[in-house]
Amino acid sequence: MKKHFLFIGALLCSTMVFGAGFQLNLQGMRQLAMGGTGAAIPWDASTIYYNPAGLVAIRNVQAYASMNLLQPRIRYTSAAPGSNMLDAKEQNYTPFNLYVGGPIAYKSRWSIGLGVYTPYGTGIDWGNDWEGRYVVQNIHLQSIFFQPTVSYEVSDQISVGGGFIYATGNLELQKATPLANQLGQDGQASLTGRGSGVGFNLGVRLKPTEDFSVGITYRSQVNMKVKRGLAQFSVPPSLSGSFVETAFQSELPLPQVATVGFGWNVNDVLTLQFDANFTGWAAYDSLIFDYENNTDLLEDTRQGRRYRNTVSLRAGMNYKFSDRISGMLGTAYDPSPVRDGFLSPDLPDADRILATGGLSVQLFERLHVIGVVEYVFATVRSGYSREEGFAGRYQTKVINPGLGVTLDF
Amino acid sequence: MKKIYILGLMVCGFAACKPTIEPIAPESGDADFSSYLAVGDYNTAGFRDGSLYLDGQMNSFANILADQLKTVGGGTFKQPLVPGEHGWPVAKKVLGVRQGPCDTVGTIQPVDFSGALDTVNTSDNISPAGPYNNVGVPGMRTVEYLVNGYATLNPFAARFFKNPASSNGLDQLTLMGHSFFTLWVGQSDIMNYAVAGGAKHNTLAPNEMLPLTPAFYTAYDSLLNTLTRNGAKGVVYNIPSIYDMPFFTTISPRSLTLTEAEVRKLNLAYNGTQVTFQTGFNSFVIEDKNFQGGFRQMGYNELVLLTLPMDSVKCAGWGSTKPIPSEYVLTQDEIDDIMASIQNYNEVIRNRATAYALPLVDLNTYYRNLNIQNEPVNGVKFSSDYASGGIFSLDGFSLTGKGNALIVNQTIITINSFYKSSIATVDPNKYEAVRYP
Repeated sequence: MKKHFLFIGALLCSTMVFGAGFQLNLQGMRQLAMGGTGAAIPWDASTIYYNPAGLVAIRNVQAYASMNLLQPRIRYTSAAPGSNMLDAKEQNYTPFNLYVGGPIAYKSRWSIGLGVYTPYGTGIDWGNDWEGRYVVQNIHLQSIFFQPTVSYEVSDQISVGGGFIYATGNLELQKATPLANQLGQDGQASLTGRGSGVGFNLGVRLKPTEDFSVGITYRSQVNMKVKRGLAQFSVPPSLSGSFVETAFQSELPLPQVATVGFGWNVNDVLTLQFDANFTGWAAYDSLIFDYENNTDLLEDTRQGRRYRNTVSLRAGMNYKFSDRISGMLGTAYDPSPVRDGFLSPDLPDADRILATGGLSVQLFERLHVIGVVEYVFATVRSGYSREEGFAGRYQTKVINPGLGVTLDF
Repeated sequence: MKKIYILGLMVCGFAACKPTIEPIAPESGDADFSSYLAVGDYNTAGFRDGSLYLDGQMNSFANILADQLKTVGGGTFKQPLVPGEHGWPVAKKVLGVRQGPCDTVGTIQPVDFSGALDTVNTSDNISPAGPYNNVGVPGMRTVEYLVNGYATLNPFAARFFKNPASSNGLDQLTLMGHSFFTLWVGQSDIMNYAVAGGAKHNTLAPNEMLPLTPAFYTAYDSLLNTLTRNGAKGVVYNIPSIYDMPFFTTISPRSLTLTEAEVRKLNLAYNGTQVTFQTGFNSFVIEDKNFQGGFRQMGYNELVLLTLPMDSVKCAGWGSTKPIPSEYVLTQDEIDDIMASIQNYNEVIRNRATAYALPLVDLNTYYRNLNIQNEPVNGVKFSSDYASGGIFSLDGFSLTGKGNALIVNQTIITINSFYKSSIATVDPNKYEAVRYP
């Protein structure tokens, strides 16, 4: 019995998606539980995100809500032969998704829907006094996408869909400035801003046979523009004239993603899915802060990021234990867009290998509950941020439980 | 089913999901760090901001290094600490907002510390409480280690030398029975001359002259011979260029800014000499007895010392209506002598380091690269800019805590590679630079 417990524990630990870069691939719980696959098969209303063409395949109006409790645990040790070690403050994030959609009329070839989801975000808090405080003390990026969507069934074999994206988000960043006051305390720069941007999400779904389907989707880049952020500084009094509170502009590209996915109903109970995502991270070339009031000591900053495009590979399976209960397993390889020489403590990213698992239970006729756990395998990366002169070794471990509910009308 | 599921979660929560990486463990390698003796001048002693005070000593190059050596078997590190923070024998420099008599607004500039005078008993000889691991003496030239009774000439040495009236510097090096040493000397040999404005145009005391290379060689060899007795190992340092220190580079020789009206008046006054002015930036007029009238304008590559009283420039016409006294400038001849001496001394240091099988920390290259490459360290761009550069203290040549920590890291890298140790480097940002008002 004990052995059995351990096995389950190990399975769940090693079956657990938290995307590379600042992408969160958590937009549907069943898809998450299958390694983040979902372009080919519309499981529920979250297909508004995974492939808008799939929405028309959902024959009734459905509401979907889910939330994750993302718990990244990140440790830094200074590059050899340094001896410092620091765990980032334990912070939990709760990315969420809401979808509602369905056919515009009974048996219509047209469906419409709305998705509200959080595909990008990151946050890390190293505290105010650590070794890298002049690089970053804490940073938080959040985004919420609103996507009204339309889907059309061209034929039994082909459906298409598309949605317009309006995105809004927050940026918060604090770092120390190396200007000590009479007590020897550092100064601090604090930047906050709201940004917004627009884009679109297009998809095609092909179903050449009853058991085989293909999904192709393209989500455009969304440029999150901060038009009027606020920069505040705390510096020694004699320098305060050079560091007055000022507005700033900045822009963060949330990259385009192209996906090809395959779904195969092997038999009545087993379904396999494979997805490949191309993410256009190269758009994130540099992070620029353009201050409205420059002074002799406050110049605009431009930090090179030079992200590279990535291709992630995902696989997952769904197994029906009964009409009411299904189990899901999945895995994915999600390489980091961060190049060597640009590994910064504000996002100590590494290639990720992840395992996921979940369970879907039909509690009532119209209500499904999906539980999922994602685990990111211990990724350790040593690296150097050339522009900041900061070297270190980072390890990130992520456990990410999530819960989703679908309600059919 | 659900129960088991939750159990699985808990396992992750408490064990599998905690990061596990650890920093590498320090190892001492081939050297014995149990008793560390620090030999040197300004930065070894913890001289900073133009003076000696407790916080400077606590953040001396030697004390920071000693802390790291403690992780690989280093013992206690005893320093001849002064009791107070005021600065001794003169007040330390701090940054203040000061409006000179001819300034229209106050600016941030170095001023004498005006806090409590806590230097009582600082001049007492504390050698009975020794021996000390840190025998750094600000201003002590390499050649002076052989001078008997040297401590009667240098108040910093007089504080802790054993038998100050009769002993020499070498005698102080054998009191500890050290197993490891740092030898960072030579900067004072240059600085004493340079701070006095060079030799060509004024009379220097003997301790302000540039030592001749053979004398430097003899003294340096004696030092290493004494220090390596009993098989002690160590590390040595060469001498940086004066062009890489803000003491020499902060005030441009072309800092004289003139309006059209001032130019007209001055050109009239200097009519018939080789001195002429134009609107905008001009070279200062300095004393030079080799020129007609005993003055001339500075060359572009000549250096003004940080000690130049700017009030006299602004109020009393120094550099324009009156030549700047030669003690505040280094002329080309003097600079040539200094640079040649640095090169010769560094050659001696390299030669002797090889002979005694000791690793060399190439400070000359390190200081130069600080400005050429200007690469950030842990998010901070250090440079040899005065005050804001973060490395040099307010006297313009001795180091801040951060500056000392950077040199400690260079030292550790050198030690690790030569003695196959893995001593941890320090976070330079843990230490202080200049405080702003």
